[in-house]
Amino acid sequence: MLELFLSQILNGVVIGFVYALIALGFSLVFGVANIINFAQGALLMLGAFLTFTMVRLGAPIAVAIPLAIAITTATGMLIERLALRPLQNAPYIAPLLSTLAIAIIFDAAAEMIWTAEIQSFPSPLSKYVVFVGSAYLTGVDFLIIAVSLSVMAGLMLFLSRSWMGKALRATAQDPEAATQMGINVPLMRQFSFGLAGALGALAGVLIGMYYMSVFPQMGIPYGLKGFAAALLGGLSSIPGAIVGGILLGIFESLASGYVGEGWRDVIAFSVLLLVLIVRPHGLFGNKSLDALGGASGATGGIPTTSVVASMAGATGRTKQRLIEAPLLVLLGVIALFALLPALGGSNYLLQVGTQAAIYAVLAVSLTLLTGSAGIISIGHAAFFGVGAYAAALAGRNWGIPAEAAFLLAGVAAAVFAAVLYWPTIRLSGHTVGLATLAIGQIVYLVCLNWVDVTRGPMGIPGVQRPSLLLGGIDMKSLAAQYWQALVVLAIAVTIAFAMLNSPIGRTWRAIREDRLAARASGVPVSRYLTLVFLVSGFLAGLAGAQFAFLQNFVSPESFMIDTSIVLISMIVLGGLGNITGALVGGVLLALLPEVLREFAQYRMLAYGAILLLLLRFRPQGLAGTR
Amino acid sequence: MSMSTPNSAALVIDKVNRRFGGVVAANALDFTIRQGEFLAVVGPNGAGKSTLLQMISGVIRPQEGEIRLGGRRIDRLTPEAINALGISRTFQTSRVFPMLTIRDSILVGTQVGLIGGGRSPRRYGPVGELVSALFRLPGYRASAAAAEARAEEVMKMFGDRLWPRRNDQAFSLSYANRRRLEIARALVQDPDILLLDEPAAGMNPSETDELTEIIAELRRSRPSMTIVMVEHKLQVVRQLAERCIVMSQGTVIVDDTPAGALEDPRVIEAYLGTKRSAAAFGKVNDDG
Repeated sequence: MLELFLSQILNGVVIGFVYALIALGFSLVFGVANIINFAQGALLMLGAFLTFTMVRLGAPIAVAIPLAIAITTATGMLIERLALRPLQNAPYIAPLLSTLAIAIIFDAAAEMIWTAEIQSFPSPLSKYVVFVGSAYLTGVDFLIIAVSLSVMAGLMLFLSRSWMGKALRATAQDPEAATQMGINVPLMRQFSFGLAGALGALAGVLIGMYYMSVFPQMGIPYGLKGFAAALLGGLSSIPGAIVGGILLGIFESLASGYVGEGWRDVIAFSVLLLVLIVRPHGLFGNKSLDALGGASGATGGIPTTSVVASMAGATGRTKQRLIEAPLLVLLGVIALFALLPALGGSNYLLQVGTQAAIYAVLAVSLTLLTGSAGIISIGHAAFFGVGAYAAALAGRNWGIPAEAAFLLAGVAAAVFAAVLYWPTIRLSGHTVGLATLAIGQIVYLVCLNWVDVTRGPMGIPGVQRPSLLLGGIDMKSLAAQYWQALVVLAIAVTIAFAMLNSPIGRTWRAIREDRLAARASGVPVSRYLTLVFLVSGFLAGLAGAQFAFLQNFVSPESFMIDTSIVLISMIVLGGLGNITGALVGGVLLALLPEVLREFAQYRMLAYGAILLLLLRFRPQGLAGTR
Repeated sequence: MSMSTPNSAALVIDKVNRRFGGVVAANALDFTIRQGEFLAVVGPNGAGKSTLLQMISGVIRPQEGEIRLGGRRIDRLTPEAINALGISRTFQTSRVFPMLTIRDSILVGTQVGLIGGGRSPRRYGPVGELVSALFRLPGYRASAAAAEARAEEVMKMFGDRLWPRRNDQAFSLSYANRRRLEIARALVQDPDILLLDEPAAGMNPSETDELTEIIAELRRSRPSMTIVMVEHKLQVVRQLAERCIVMSQGTVIVDDTPAGALEDPRVIEAYLGTKRSAAAFGKVNDDG
């Protein structure tokens, strides 16, 4: 017993040092540029894969590693230059989504170049082993500890002694004053991204050596763990990052030892969530993560917590045109689409149409939450998934008729949304994005690992479609599924429309724009956020049930982070908080992979690129932000 | 708790302390604001004037002492709960809702009246409101329409400053108009106590006069409304207030009529530090 405990602790400490490295990169960028860099994990993955490729091409590993770090550093700086600096005057949601888009593009590109498979990573030091009792440490473990400690010491010296380091810290504390003192603030931001790239690449290589393998999707989980470590330790201190990293390493190592390897990441992300909620300034930090983000933060013209307002907006330079169709027009268009089966639409068209309708419901649901209430949700697939699983399990395990399961799915997702997002109610700005991303990952991992209930990766087959008691019509046909999805869409649009054009919708927007002013004006913020969680969750749950009926099958992979990101791209494309926009964005992006059929495997790449370009050139979306 | 005392809506600041690190923003603050009183709070920057309003409105909590409204302790309540009890405020930094139209921004102030609670009976719980909004039930719609009428009335109080722009987004407003919008958002709630944090800051002399006239008119039409105003423009204080508290380093150094307070040598010393500059004092500040 004691041996297992000791060896888990040792493992945890070692991997914790790597998390500390990632955490430092995250803290640096957060401090200097005031944004949560979701691309941090992508840089980590890039560093690892560059090393892997160079070694495979015959380069000695001692040459490959520094070269990979150098290239990743340059990439980090390039990301700042191309994806963030142009967004200075964009809405505050833009920089966050921009780093997310970069992460997706890197992920997808890596899968294309190196395939989605796990690759074995060279780890020459693994063969040296030192026993500590019955636990042991390998050469890699010692390398990780030695390299991490010296990098951290070097970083500490650099920040406290060198001119550049001091300039970096000055920029973090007050960019405007730093500018007055002749510091090139944009350069400092770029430099912080470069440093984060270097730290990320180093961490990626060490992770590769530690697990002797790398895989293209490693960016997001390890990036999240870096955030968790940084938050746990407190954002502003290097010792804090080390302690945060080691604690996180020990927690998840114990979880994997005693509960099961599959639960390792669940624990890590839960720690992240817990710290965000309970102690957002971390164990040692004095700087809480309350930053709204935005390339220059929420300073300037008008104080606001709005994720859709912008510096440009605050100075009145961008007057946007808002396109919003009346409810009857929207319902009329849906009714027109309902004619498709009668016009002889093929099964393929009906299948695609049903999926587009499901995505449109999800986009409407997300635009209430993220667009109107300003809660950036990068975990929306969780509610979709809860709805789908509720519908599937209700029929299979509890013998509930499919008609009732439909409603049950909506209610279950609504309750889940309210319960899961309730703890995030005090968070705002980019922090919510971090929390919801963690929630989305946790729900996905629970679906994957809670085999007793969800059957894990095998999924649940044989989901029964509702017959809706309509005699004479075969409600189980594909055409019926299509109509059913359109009815769900019509219901979702009607509900969303009624909400957004009522005092409730106005109150959501007020909370998004300035939470403190809303509270001081008597708005009970938690009540209205709970309402938006309920409504948004309900609609996502209905979409989930419809999805389960359409596929006759649910499995965790439909509810991965990719889905959440596609949904965000949809509402950004259409225009945040705008139902017409959500419908347009939802349908367009749902059809995209069908239109580019032969490029279907590049779908995530396309979504990432579309998101990035939109943020740069049309942040208000096609139909305008409301 | 006795509700039948002659001054039931008095706001009592009872030995309140608040420090920020080494800075003392409230040092044993202890005074009572009577119902219907127009109190001006003046003092040099950093005296703790805004902190006082922040504590009354629940944005900042006192570290020691109590704040009571009509005998009820309110210093542990949330800002929204305090607002629901009839205390409305504006912010020193003009916190408007940038993307909302002027009309919608003001209507936000009517929400607490619509759902009830606080000083009015509870009318809609969360689910009740959801259902009412979804099905556009008549009672809810009537309340919403009444709120709109009330918002229109308040917007028109500001002449042609807000009403013709009611469908413009708040970020497009001038600095002075943002201040008006904030005051309108507070007034639409028909508060018992109105807290104004430098309402005339950033306004030119004619705009200041216009605002002074609006507040004076408000005073005539709603004499029972208590007004607490932090203001640097002493001319505005002289014209409007009945009582003037001068703060310095977190304490009240003078509590008098505006005329009395602003002539007090201690006040001049607190502002300028030396008695020799006293002659220049009135001029500098009255220029606004």
